[in-house]
Amino acid sequence: MGMNPIRESLEKIQATEELKQNTLQYLNEQRQKKSRVRAHYVPQAALAAVVLFCLIGIGGYSVYRKPVSYISIDVNPSIELGLNCFGRVVSAEAYNDDGRGMIEQVPLKNVSYMQAINRLINDDKYNSYLDEDAVLVFTVISDRPDKILEELHASGLAEQYEALTYTSDPVCREEAHRHEMSFGKYRTYLELLEYDENVTIEDCHGMTMGELRDRIDACTHGGQTGSGKEHHRRENERGHDCAN
Amino acid sequence: MKSAEEINAALEAYADMVRRICFLHLKNGYDTEDVFQNVYMKYMLYEGVFESSEHEKAWFARVTINACKDMLRYFSRRKWVPLDVIAEEREALDDKDEGVLEVVLKLPEKYRSVIYLYYYEGYSATEIAGILGRKENTIYTWLARAKALLRVKLGGEWA
Repeated sequence: MGMNPIRESLEKIQATEELKQNTLQYLNEQRQKKSRVRAHYVPQAALAAVVLFCLIGIGGYSVYRKPVSYISIDVNPSIELGLNCFGRVVSAEAYNDDGRGMIEQVPLKNVSYMQAINRLINDDKYNSYLDEDAVLVFTVISDRPDKILEELHASGLAEQYEALTYTSDPVCREEAHRHEMSFGKYRTYLELLEYDENVTIEDCHGMTMGELRDRIDACTHGGQTGSGKEHHRRENERGHDCAN
Repeated sequence: MKSAEEINAALEAYADMVRRICFLHLKNGYDTEDVFQNVYMKYMLYEGVFESSEHEKAWFARVTINACKDMLRYFSRRKWVPLDVIAEEREALDDKDEGVLEVVLKLPEKYRSVIYLYYYEGYSATEIAGILGRKENTIYTWLARAKALLRVKLGGEWA
């Protein structure tokens, strides 16, 4: 290359100190702006995450809180348990004074339904209702009632107390509630109504499950009382269909 | 993001090169300042790793040439007069320099980068091809044509 006038001439073109300083200043401004932008968005992103988390939480909680199955437990106290999709008790409603007394006394919510039923039955006061003449009735409303009925029998509870188990449906439950009655007791009322057209819902309100059972037995077995209990335990596990 | 120390070092090392490439392509000192700042801004935000100072230098050359092209595209309608940019540097240049640079500045734009990288920075045609993202043969052709033009304008020294 030897003589290189281009190199020689271009050598004299240089970045001035001013140009460098202006650039440094510009970059510092941009750097601060960038970090400001970042600092500006961090709380917003955090807020968005919290909101999302809450929504998922609320959604999850409302799923947890939603009853999908019901068990009506009737002796004289009438209590309905609402179960969520995980089989936990999320609601407990009483449909007579004895029932109200029980749910005030025994914590039934936020445990599995078998645990809740055990708590109830092992309670001294509740036990006092389960005398010789009493009849314990479990009535189930669920998409899969067999699962709950199976567990009730498998636990030995149903056998131990010679409990009767039935299924029902949401339409019956609505109707029952219109008469301020548990759907379990209402199902029994409908059963009695088939044999005795003169029985009224008001009559039933004043009767225990044992008394109702006796009335049904009286109609089906020519007036014998008390002894029909064993017979009915296995026989009538089908629900009474309100939709008919 | 690059630290202030890295930026200072890069200013020391490459400011003159960036300035010269700007001089060869841009219309005035304002555009030069814009491109200059853009190039260093890109450097500040560059997340990649430079394997060597040679790699870093080539990166600066390529980014500056591209930034100049962008600037020219952006202001494509503005009239470009080589004498204006030379006038801006009048204090640094003597008559002979002005003559030489005027010839260089009158070359087609694509030749100016090649001439600069070849004659000033001493890059080989292969390296220039890498920086400009062109085929090596293209660079040889451009170099030959640019040299021929310079020879006509600058005379004997280029023979």
